[in-house]
Amino acid sequence: MAAIAEMQSSAPATEYHAKHGDQGPVIEVRDFNLWYGAAQALHDITMTIERGLVTALIGPSGCGKSTLLRCLNRMNDLVDGLTIRGTMLLEGQDIYDARTDVIALRKRMGMVFQKPNPFPMSIYENVIYPLRVDGIRDRRILDETVERALRGAALWEEAKDRLNESALGLSGGQQQRLCIARAIAGDPEVLLMDEPCSALDPIATLKIEELIDKLSGQYTIIIVTHNMQQAARVSDNTAFMYLGRLIEYGETEQVFTTPRLQRTLDYVTGRFG
Amino acid sequence: MNYVERDATRSLAEALPHSRGRVTDIAARGEPYTWALGGALALGIVMIVGFLALVLYNGATTFIPKPITVVTLADGAVVAGEPFRSESYRPGPAVLEKLAPEVRARIAANDGYAGRTLYRIGNYDIYNEDFRWVSDFEVARMGHPTDLIYAERLEWGPFIGRLKSVHVGGAVREAASMPETELARLHGEARARWQRLRGIERSEIGAVNHQIERERLAVRKAEIAHGAGSAEARQRAAEAAIRIAELQREYDRLAAEARRLREQDRAVRVTLAAIGGEEKELALSALVRFYPANAISLTGKAGIYLSRWWEFLSDEPREANTEGGVMPAIFGTFAMTLLLVIAVTPFGVITALYLREYARQGRLVSVIRISVNNLAGVPSIVYGVFGLGFFAYVLGGSIDQLFYPERLPNPTFGTGGLLWASLTLALLTVPVVIVATEEALAAVPRSMREGSLACGASKWQTIRNIVLPRAMPGIMTGIILAMARGAGEVAPLMLVGVVKLAPELPVDGFFPFVHLERSFMHLGFHIFDVGFQSRNSEAGKPMVFVTTVLLVGLIFLMNISAIAIRNRLKRKFAGSQF
Repeated sequence: MAAIAEMQSSAPATEYHAKHGDQGPVIEVRDFNLWYGAAQALHDITMTIERGLVTALIGPSGCGKSTLLRCLNRMNDLVDGLTIRGTMLLEGQDIYDARTDVIALRKRMGMVFQKPNPFPMSIYENVIYPLRVDGIRDRRILDETVERALRGAALWEEAKDRLNESALGLSGGQQQRLCIARAIAGDPEVLLMDEPCSALDPIATLKIEELIDKLSGQYTIIIVTHNMQQAARVSDNTAFMYLGRLIEYGETEQVFTTPRLQRTLDYVTGRFG
Repeated sequence: MNYVERDATRSLAEALPHSRGRVTDIAARGEPYTWALGGALALGIVMIVGFLALVLYNGATTFIPKPITVVTLADGAVVAGEPFRSESYRPGPAVLEKLAPEVRARIAANDGYAGRTLYRIGNYDIYNEDFRWVSDFEVARMGHPTDLIYAERLEWGPFIGRLKSVHVGGAVREAASMPETELARLHGEARARWQRLRGIERSEIGAVNHQIERERLAVRKAEIAHGAGSAEARQRAAEAAIRIAELQREYDRLAAEARRLREQDRAVRVTLAAIGGEEKELALSALVRFYPANAISLTGKAGIYLSRWWEFLSDEPREANTEGGVMPAIFGTFAMTLLLVIAVTPFGVITALYLREYARQGRLVSVIRISVNNLAGVPSIVYGVFGLGFFAYVLGGSIDQLFYPERLPNPTFGTGGLLWASLTLALLTVPVVIVATEEALAAVPRSMREGSLACGASKWQTIRNIVLPRAMPGIMTGIILAMARGAGEVAPLMLVGVVKLAPELPVDGFFPFVHLERSFMHLGFHIFDVGFQSRNSEAGKPMVFVTTVLLVGLIFLMNISAIAIRNRLKRKFAGSQF
């Protein structure tokens, strides 16, 4: 027991040099630990997500970056045998408090997944899905939302003439932008993106990156990516994770050019991972 | 360099024949398995196609009018009938003894076998049998006289013989001197009159009786509610007496009308003569149809064929179900299957939804799942017993006590009926729907559910908007399987509401129009009844085939429509990448 405690305490402390936004943090994570059954997947994660900035989570496969992202809107609730210790706050409100309304919480965070997952409905119905589940039926509000969200996701010009066609007829890149439109239709505060470009070709990837650039400032974006260049291009802050630990969390430019830890340097220059 | 290459080539060439010549293990080669699988499939297809072809051929040819053969036997007797089937048999020693020596020698030369033919001779009321075997060695002469008619009668089965005379009013006219068109006109009029008579007796007098019964029940209800002899009951009885008197007058009027029609009907009669000279006089309207079997044209045959099909599809059975139509059975089968689907779908889908989406997957759920699968293996007759005991006696008995006390001791819901039969079959087929729905739910990709939940949808909203529509084609497959199983089931139905003859359909013009408590007819039971329970199973055999064709066709039709709906749903999701 003592040995384990020693090992944990002997784990290197996280290097912090993240850029601070003008409006302070929107999410605070404190000493967050997570176990899948007996296996610990996250170790003592402590970090803040700055409002209006783009934060990239990088690290080799299995390092826990997706797990961390999915903890933020409690998508991990679907997994059996999950144990959690620590705190996660969204604007000071405890995400894992028993009194927290999970549905309301998820409405404050849009999520975009690895593979585009439009519903088998029309483009229009897809975009307004978050409003539909709220029971909004006012045609004017719905129409406005569709235009705003599709413009926001840079899909309006391509989709405005085929709103009532099936979303499954769109190309992969268009489908992913539709999913982004769906994620921002409910006007969330935070946008969670779980490797949004990993299933897309380079041109579609470029469009999504441009879109992230456009959306930053308007939304707080957290993006998980395997693509180092992508992280470098789109994010303000970058968190490097390894084996369930947060190794270095800092300003993107510094993380990629002059990281403070050797391990980060090895990873971002492609020497391991 | 050159040398080395040549060497290498040679060693390869040496190695090759060796490896080619080696016998590889039969399990390692695919072809035998392909042949075995293909052979098994071919065998299955041959059996199914053969069965369907047999049923279709026999079903389709049953209604074709056949010629009548008149056979004069060696002993001078005359037999007239439709040749039904032929076979060879071994005559017994007692029969052989009486035969002429040359006939005996001929049979002996044929290893003791002789041929014989089964004739449908009809005239059951005269001969006391419908069929007669005629051995080939008995036959002296055969002929096909054109003046023989085949007449289908309302009672006693077909009559084969000659139309002798027609009586209209008091006048008697020889049939031979009568133009065919006039006879046809008289027959048409007589049949129309008979239909009208039946309409009065069945529908109109039936309606009056129904209303009288309702008045009587109202009085009984008042007596139960307020006590016999109370003021309310007496008042209700007085009101009922006035109404019943009115209804009685209406009844008398209808009965008089019916009497008048029946007298008219009796005035138009025909005399038929069998081939042996026996005469039979009956009302012209008692002949459903008649035709000169050996002189009928091809178009005439086609007309008879179609009119028999029409009668079969649209009329009620007669003659212990071996003749007439099966309309009540078609209706009963269809209504029962429809109710079965309506009952089984929500029940099965909700159960599967809970098991797959809400219940915590563990030992208990596994046990439940295995139990559900085992339910599919319980003999169907056990379901019948359960349906009778639980649905009819317990549930139905309670309903009767609560809502229909005035009709007791006659049961209303407390006996087998359409509703209980459908629910019993729903219970029988619910495992199929549960299993299919669970599979369909499990096949909905996780990404869809996550996408919906991430949009802030609740679990139920996700299931309703995303999961259920996606799983619908799979659920439909389960319903189709359940429907096919339920529509063809007979054994449990015999206990919970199917009867040999149900004069009243479960749907009629009296409030509340749909009577789910009524017993009904079913094509599957009809097949059993006609084939194995009638007085002459030989006569019923053609009907068994026709009814089977109809049942298979009905199930086929219902399946095709369900599959069409499923394919429409599937197309909605076509192009999905998941």
